[in-house]
Amino acid sequence: MITIADIQKRIKSGETVRGIVEDALSKVEASADYNVLISVVREPALKRADQLDAKLKKGEDIGVLGGVPYVAKDIFLAHDTIATAGSNILKNFDSPYQATCVNRLEAAGAILIGKANNDAFGNGSSTENSDFGVTKNPYDKSRVAGGSSGGSTAAVALDIVPFSIGGDTGGSCRQPASYCGVLGLKPTYGRVSRYGVIAYTSSLDTVGTIANAADDAALVFGVIAGQDDRDSTTLQDKPASFMPADNPTKPLKIGIVKEHMRSDAVQPEVLAAVNLQAKKLKHAGHTVQEVSLPTLDVSLATYYIVAPAELSSNLMRYDGVKFGYSAKDAKTLEELYGLSRDQGFNAENKRRILIGTYVLSSGYIDAYYRKAQTVRTKLINEYAEVFKNYDVLIGPVAPTTAFKIGENSDPLQMYLQDLMTVGPSLAGLPAISVPSGFDNNKLPIGVQLVGAQRSDALLLSLAKQLEDSK
Amino acid sequence: MTKITVDDVRKAAALAKIAVTDAEAEKLATELHSILGYVRQLDAVDTTGLEPTYQVTGLTNVTRADELIDYGTNREDLLKNAPRERDGQIEVPKVL
Amino acid sequence: MIKQDVLDQYEPTIGIECHVQLNTKTKLFSGASNDERGQAPNMVTSPICFGLPGTLPVLNAKAVELAVRAGKALNAEIAKVSSFDRKHYFYPDLPKGYQITQLDRPTVGKGEIEVPVNGKTIKVRINRAHIEEDAGKSVHPSGVGYSLVDLNRAGTPLIEIVSEPDMHSAAEAKAYVQELYLLMKYSGVTLGDLQHGNMRFDVNISVAKKGAGKLGKRSEIKNLNSFRAVERAVQYEISRHVELIEKGEVIKQETRGWDEAKQRTTAQRSKEEAMDYRYFPEPDIPPVVLTAEEIEAIHAEMPHLPPHIRRELARFGLDQATAETLILQDAMTGSGYVHTIMQVGSKDSTGAAKFAASWLSNRDIKHRQDHPDQLGVPSDDQFIAVYKMVSDKELSSNSVDQLLFKLKADHTLNARQVAEADGLLQENDTDALALAVGKILSDPANQKAAADIKAGETKAIGFLVGQVMKQTGGKANPAAVAELIKDSLAK
Repeated sequence: MITIADIQKRIKSGETVRGIVEDALSKVEASADYNVLISVVREPALKRADQLDAKLKKGEDIGVLGGVPYVAKDIFLAHDTIATAGSNILKNFDSPYQATCVNRLEAAGAILIGKANNDAFGNGSSTENSDFGVTKNPYDKSRVAGGSSGGSTAAVALDIVPFSIGGDTGGSCRQPASYCGVLGLKPTYGRVSRYGVIAYTSSLDTVGTIANAADDAALVFGVIAGQDDRDSTTLQDKPASFMPADNPTKPLKIGIVKEHMRSDAVQPEVLAAVNLQAKKLKHAGHTVQEVSLPTLDVSLATYYIVAPAELSSNLMRYDGVKFGYSAKDAKTLEELYGLSRDQGFNAENKRRILIGTYVLSSGYIDAYYRKAQTVRTKLINEYAEVFKNYDVLIGPVAPTTAFKIGENSDPLQMYLQDLMTVGPSLAGLPAISVPSGFDNNKLPIGVQLVGAQRSDALLLSLAKQLEDSK
Repeated sequence: MTKITVDDVRKAAALAKIAVTDAEAEKLATELHSILGYVRQLDAVDTTGLEPTYQVTGLTNVTRADELIDYGTNREDLLKNAPRERDGQIEVPKVL
Repeated sequence: MIKQDVLDQYEPTIGIECHVQLNTKTKLFSGASNDERGQAPNMVTSPICFGLPGTLPVLNAKAVELAVRAGKALNAEIAKVSSFDRKHYFYPDLPKGYQITQLDRPTVGKGEIEVPVNGKTIKVRINRAHIEEDAGKSVHPSGVGYSLVDLNRAGTPLIEIVSEPDMHSAAEAKAYVQELYLLMKYSGVTLGDLQHGNMRFDVNISVAKKGAGKLGKRSEIKNLNSFRAVERAVQYEISRHVELIEKGEVIKQETRGWDEAKQRTTAQRSKEEAMDYRYFPEPDIPPVVLTAEEIEAIHAEMPHLPPHIRRELARFGLDQATAETLILQDAMTGSGYVHTIMQVGSKDSTGAAKFAASWLSNRDIKHRQDHPDQLGVPSDDQFIAVYKMVSDKELSSNSVDQLLFKLKADHTLNARQVAEADGLLQENDTDALALAVGKILSDPANQKAAADIKAGETKAIGFLVGQVMKQTGGKANPAAVAELIKDSLAK
């Protein structure tokens, strides 16, 4: 379980940044079987390492994340390598510009060593929908790492890097984090810039931070968060620090989400893990009570209208004309569009695009899309009501621990894996998956904490409290 | 709810310009019927008096000054991923 | 060829959508330059213009300001809250596969303008005006199997002005688009460079028998870019509709293009069914909220618009045609005529403004065209001085031209001094004239002419006036001379 502090200690004790990067790269090779990365960044990473080593020699500051290697889900655009979004349709996409997150991490001295595997365009909950193979769970190779940011979480779980960044639209960082036994933070929507992040669902997409330790997640989050001129949906305010040490908690009122604790829908060990964490929080001085948010029962249905709708729009641009896969044998423009998109997108992409197209089409948009966005309002209001009386909500991240590769072949069955995570996504609320023990098969269990808008620091502080109480 | 047919799939595929094969269309009809059937549970949700939420930030008036921005890219950079290029323009099969 | 009496049985109904390119430095949603004139393809672009993965739109504040100005010029409601929507369709020059436009909550709502047509004015109601981004350009070279896409124009800010179907003739349609041009140009909303497509017009037209009570089937002509093209296309289309109706044929609800070379509309590739654009609110751009104070502040900065200018010019006694000529000339060439007339009018109430306006309209416009290096306009003081000399009959019309063309090049020149120095002043002194007339009349060579005049042939007066002009080196006041000759011979 490597942390940023481990890396910084090694640098202080004289190890070169180049050595650290080479070490991480060799760990990448050693874990090839898990299929964690889509592309490896070797030469540019070593070049950056050398630049930082030169600065260290001169006694210069190398940044708060100086010399720390990381991986980014393959939806982040970076100069050093291609970005595929996990899809064949962007198999060779060499971006001429870089994501704001990557710029900020670079400025802080972090070193990108690879692009992590993910379900194509975020469409999936296992990385089985990656066009570059599934990412295996570090705890059991016959099982999935989770998705869609499976590569990002596996990289941290395998101790290749101490942190990674992913995308969380409906649970895509939290769920794989829980399957891989690492911390996964989905921030308040708008906290982190989406510029240079390949879009899935514009009104839900967030940049997730994945780490082994709450302090690391907070540190990295502090570097990437903040208003960005390139993204009109970023919040203009930012707290001075997200670090748990700077954000001590008073006694909090914690609510266990009744709708997510159904014994007929959730694996018993998962329920037990939630209750155990709840008990720990009680011991720490907080109060815990059951709370009900009835609209959560329809949150999955709401998500699977809104997300495909916006996805179908965001994926219109992949048409074989300006970039990406282009059908070579197309004789007409119609063929170019039709074949490029049919050949470039995978089955899940097409399912969601067609659902999205259908729910936005004339005659259906009111009953589906507009209705879903109105139910969303109902959910937002419900959360707001609850947060008048509670500070944090607790519950499972997913109904089960990591499932077997191929187990959820029915699309709807796969969607049900998002049951607990889509609620906070729809409401734009921060949520964190905290590693909370293992089940009888020694598979990691994650417990989810959800806070009101802008309570990211609070969640990190609680995560740290739970970490420390192990 | 009425069955989602292959025809429905073809209509959506035409709008989304995905040239689905016959086999794909058959499979998609079944899958879409199942998924859309699931999401129809929203019909029963009472949303009287509520307006849709399209953005959760509550932000308004996010604009920029009318000044040139250097994005660090030139024409070559922007065209480098184009499948077909000719004389600095993007080439496509003849648009009729 | 359809006969006029048949055409007269029908009432055309016309509505026009006008796309106006906004006069901003940068594009609507990116900081790429908004000036593609003279640029090679794809040179004024950015990752956002290309719709690259991961790019996001950021709204140009100036575009909103100009939209508010346009709204004021259209006497329209300005929405306190407006927002953007995505309109989806596939086309090579639409990089994102959707256009960001305004459907549900446009920035500008209902309005109304008055349009001068053939000496009267008609009212044309505005349905709405919304902000949207322009697409790029596709060219389809002939003889090859490919088309080419240039995204320089992609993302250019537009305001689309939608009228109600309040026009009923080609003349009214033309007058309307010309008035839109004037309003948008004067308010600074657009550069108004029609050659570069700063304004494009789509015309919707139907005809019905007069008194029919309901409208006929509609056709649309897209992408007209001059007033004349609008007029001709509408004329053609009215005839085409009427001919079809008279033959008992069906009018297809379709989109047509105007063929300038052949002077006719042609059917464009018709689509099997109406396109489903799947509009939904744009998630990436927060709504625009305007306060009454902000809207008022924008309005306060606006220059005077044609309706105000017309009222002012009328006060100076200008007729409608002259006023329109000046207003249009200023818009199209930046001549600054109106400003000068206003200055003259503010300093003189004896008619100098009307005189100046008439001269500029009738004499200077052509002169500027013939002499592109002489684009000055006489100053207000110069006009006032010249007008006084004209009122005192000291200048012939030729002399007026000569004098003003010279003065306009240099505002420090004094009108009277130049007139005297260049010998332009007319001889008005009655004694001097009488002397000259006497000399001519007593010349034996002119006796026949004199006799003819006495006998009633007034034509010969001109000949004798000519002689006097020669005698006086062109300085005599010909009107006064003619009078003197008539009087002398009448005795």
